[in-house]
Amino acid sequence: MQPLLRVENLVKHYAAGRPASLKDKLTALDGVSLSIPSGETLALVGESGSGKSTLALCIACLEPPTSGSIWFEGIDAAALGENQQCLLRPQIQLVFQDPASSLNPRWTALDIVSEPFLVQGRFTKPDRAVRALQLLDRVAIPRKMAARRADELSGGQKQRLAIARALALEPKLLILDEALSALDCSVQAQISNLLLDLQSSLGLTYLFITHDFAMAAHMADQIAVMYQGRIVESGPSEKILSSPNHEATRSLMAATPRFIETPGVLVHF
Amino acid sequence: MRYFIRRALHAVFLLFGVSLLTFLFSALTPGNYFDEMRLNPQISPETVAALRAQYQLDRPLPVRYAHWLNAVAHGQLGFSFAYNNPVAPLLWARARNTLLLTITATLLAWLVALPLGVWSAASFGRAPDRVLSRTTATLLVVPDLVLALGLLILAVRTGWFPTGGLVSDGFDELSVSHKLRDIALHMTLPVVSLVLATLPMLVRHVRASVADVLDAPFLRAAAGHGIPQRKLLYRYALRAAANPLISLFGFSVGTLLSGSLLVEVVMSWPGLGPLLLESILARDLYVVIGGVLLSMLFLVGGNLFADILLYLADPRIRTAASAE
Amino acid sequence: MTQRRKFTRWLIVMVALHGIIAAAGFFAPYDPVEQDRERPYFPPVHIHMMDTQGHFHLRPVFYPLRLRAGSFDQHEEDTATTVPLKFFQRGAAYRLLGFVPSHLHLFGATGARVYLLGSDAYGRDQLSRILYGGQVSLLAGLLGATVTLFLGALIGMAAGYFGGWRDELLMRIAELFLALPWLYLLFALRAFLPLAVSPLEAFLLVVIVIGMVGWARPARLVRGVVLSVKERDFVRAARGFGASDVYLLRRHILPETASVLLTQAAILVPQFVLAEMTLSFLGLGVPEPMSSWGNLLAALQQYNVLVSYWWMYLPALAIVPFFLGYLSLASALQQRTRPYKIEEKSSWSPS
Repeated sequence: MQPLLRVENLVKHYAAGRPASLKDKLTALDGVSLSIPSGETLALVGESGSGKSTLALCIACLEPPTSGSIWFEGIDAAALGENQQCLLRPQIQLVFQDPASSLNPRWTALDIVSEPFLVQGRFTKPDRAVRALQLLDRVAIPRKMAARRADELSGGQKQRLAIARALALEPKLLILDEALSALDCSVQAQISNLLLDLQSSLGLTYLFITHDFAMAAHMADQIAVMYQGRIVESGPSEKILSSPNHEATRSLMAATPRFIETPGVLVHF
Repeated sequence: MRYFIRRALHAVFLLFGVSLLTFLFSALTPGNYFDEMRLNPQISPETVAALRAQYQLDRPLPVRYAHWLNAVAHGQLGFSFAYNNPVAPLLWARARNTLLLTITATLLAWLVALPLGVWSAASFGRAPDRVLSRTTATLLVVPDLVLALGLLILAVRTGWFPTGGLVSDGFDELSVSHKLRDIALHMTLPVVSLVLATLPMLVRHVRASVADVLDAPFLRAAAGHGIPQRKLLYRYALRAAANPLISLFGFSVGTLLSGSLLVEVVMSWPGLGPLLLESILARDLYVVIGGVLLSMLFLVGGNLFADILLYLADPRIRTAASAE
Repeated sequence: MTQRRKFTRWLIVMVALHGIIAAAGFFAPYDPVEQDRERPYFPPVHIHMMDTQGHFHLRPVFYPLRLRAGSFDQHEEDTATTVPLKFFQRGAAYRLLGFVPSHLHLFGATGARVYLLGSDAYGRDQLSRILYGGQVSLLAGLLGATVTLFLGALIGMAAGYFGGWRDELLMRIAELFLALPWLYLLFALRAFLPLAVSPLEAFLLVVIVIGMVGWARPARLVRGVVLSVKERDFVRAARGFGASDVYLLRRHILPETASVLLTQAAILVPQFVLAEMTLSFLGLGVPEPMSSWGNLLAALQQYNVLVSYWWMYLPALAIVPFFLGYLSLASALQQRTRPYKIEEKSSWSPS
C-alpha cells in the first residue's frame, strides 16, 4: 500500500535581499525525502534553522518548492497548478507553534473555528455554527468559551482551538509544527493525549515537528532527524532512540533531559 | 562614497520626476496663457497664433519637454509670457528676497529653539517644562494663516511696522544705515510669523531628543566627574541627541524656498511665493515650472545636505556607509 | 487622567462643536446671505445686563448701532431704543441638516439687527456667516480626508500585499508626492483646473484636489501595517483553507489598519480644513455667495478693512478650537497604540 505522503528530493532556495545576486540565496531544504504511511505519525526532529518549518510550509502547499516532488495519495502536489492546489490544500492542514499569532486575536473562538467553512463557502450560517460547536466539543473546549475572543483564552485552550480549526475541513494529514513547544509541561501532556485520541478516532496521519525527543518518543511511530536542510537519520522510534547514529541526533538527544523520578535517583533519559 | 552617489542619483531622479510631472500636468490641463487673449476681440487670431508659434505651444508635448530640458542644460529656464522676460532672472530676483526672509527666520528659530528645548528637557516635568509645553501646544494649535493675519492686524492698528513690501517709498534717498533699518522693519512681521510657526515643533523635537539622551549612563558618569551642568547639557547631551536634529535642520534648509509661500502672500512680501501664485493663476507655464523646480532643488539639496552633515557628525554612519 | 478618559472627553467636545456647526441654522440668528445694505461694516453690538437708566434686566439687552452724525465709520449706540434679546425666537426659515424645515433660532431680536460679531460689506451678519461657513469648511476637510484615506489605504494595501515591482513603483511615486511642498501642489492642482465654476462644483473640486495631495503618508503607514500582518500565521492558515487575496485583505488585513487610519484622520482633517481656508482666502476655493471660513477672511486683503474693521478677523479664530480638539484626539489615539514613547514625532507639520 502506498504511503499517504511521500516527499522526494525536495529543494527550497530563498533569495536573500536583492534578487539579482545568485550567490546570496539561502538554502533551506537541500534534498529532503521522507514518507509517512496512512494513520501513522512521523516525528521530524531538528534544531532551529534546520529547515523544519520550511518543509511544513512546502508540504502544506503554502510555499512552492524550488525542485522535487511531494506525492500525496499518489498525486504530485508540487506539480499542480494553483487552482488544483487549492482543491488539495484542505486535506493537508497545518497547526502552528504560536497560537497567539496563528489565531486572529480579535476574532471569537466560534468565528475562528468556522472560518474554514466560510472560506470554502460550505454550509449555511447556522449550520456552520453547529459544526463549529461540535469541533469545540471534540477538542474539549467548553461551549461557553465560544463567544470569547481568542486573546482571552489560555495558551492550552488557544492551541486546542487551532487544532479544532485544522480539523474543520476533515483533513487526512495534519502537520503539527512545534505545536506543543510553547505550552507548559502539564498542558503539553493533555494536548498530546488529545492528539493521540483524535488520531485513533479520526484515522489521521501526523507529521509531528519538534525539537524535543521526549515528545517525539511519546507521539511517533517513526522519527526522522533533520540537520541543515537534510534528513540525516530516520527509522522506527525505538531504533533511533536506543542507538542513534548521526552526531546531530546524539546532540539533540543530549539536549532534552527528562527526569524520571525514582526514589533517591534522578535519571537522565 | 557609494552612499552619496546613490543619494545624489536619487535626488536627480526626484528632480526629473517632478519636472516631468509639472510639465505634463500644466500642459495637459485645460487653459493656457493665451486663452485670455483669444477671448479679447481686439487681438486678431493670427496674432495669437503667431505668439503661440513663437513660444512653441503648438508643438507636440515630448518635443516641448525636450526643448525645455535642453534649455535648462544651458542654464535658461524658459520665457515668461506675462512679464515678457526670461524666467531665470525673474526667479533669482524674487528668490533672493525669499531667502533673506527665510534664512533669517530659520536661524532665529533654531537659535531660540535649541536653548528652550534643552532647558525644557533638563527640567522635564517640572514648572519650566510645563509652561513651555503649554506655550508650544497653544502655538501649535494656531495655524499659520491665522497667525500671519493676526500679526498683520496688529501691525496695522498699532502702526509700529510697515505692512507690506520690501522697502518704503523713497528708499533710494535714504542713507545706508537707514536703508538697513527700513528693510529690517519691513522684515520683522514676516520673520516673526515664520518663527512662531516653526518654533513650537522645533522646541518639541529638541526636547524629545535631548530627553531621550538624558537618561543615558554616560551622562551620569560625566556628572559624577563634576562637569558643570551647562557644559553637560550642551557639549555632551546635545551632541548625543544631534542625529534627529541634524536631519531636521537639513529639512529646514530644504524648505527655505517653499515654506514661506503663505506668509509672503499675506504680508505682501515680494518673494517667490506671490510670483508663483500669480503665474499659476495666469497660466504662465515656464515661470511655474521654473519656480517649482527651484524649490525642489532646495528641498532635495536640503535632504542631501542633512545626509552629508550626518555622515560628518556621526562616526557610526561613517562605518555603516563604508561597510556597504 | 487615563488615556481612555482623555480620549472620551475630547470626543465629546468635538461632537458638541461639530453639532453646533451642523445645526448652524438654529444657532445663527440670520440667514447668511441676507443683506442689509444700510448697515455695512457695523461693529459688534454690546450686550448689557444693566441699561443706561440703571435698571437690571434679567434678559440681556442691547442698543442698536447707528452711524455717528457726520462720520462714515464711527458708530454709537442709540440709547433711546432698548431692544431685548429674545431666546428661542421664531425667525427666518431654514432647513436643519439640510432637510428638516424649521423656524426656530436660539436667539434673535425684533426691531433691530443684533450683530453679535458685526457685519460685513453687505450688511450680512458675521456670526451667521461664520456658522454656515463652518459647515462648508469642515465638510471640505472631512470629505477631503475621506478621499485621501481611501486612496492611501487602497494604494498602501496594494503595495504592501502584492510587493515586488508594484510596491517599488507605488512607493517611488509616493516619495515624489511627499517631496513636493504641499501648498504648491495644492495651488497648482486647483489653479490648473477650470476656475470659473459654480460654487458646488468649486467645492467638489476643492475636495478632490485636497484629497489627492495627501495620500502618500497614509499609504506608507498602511503599507507598513500590511507588511507586518501579511506574515502572521493566521493569514497563512486562512490561505491554507483556500482563502483568496480579496478575502484576506478584507477580513484580516483591513481591520488591522483601522487604528492607523483613524489616527491619520484626526491629523489630516484639521490640515485639510486649513487647506480649504487657504485656497478660499486666495480666491481659488469656494466662491461667493457661499461662505466658508476662508473666503470670509478674503475681505482682509483690502487695506481699509485691515485698518478699521477688526471683527472681520474673527472667522480666523473659529478654526482654533477645532484644531485643538482634533490634535488632542490624535495625540490621545497615538498614545493608545504606543503608550511608552515620550514624544510622538507626529506627522503634523505640513509638507
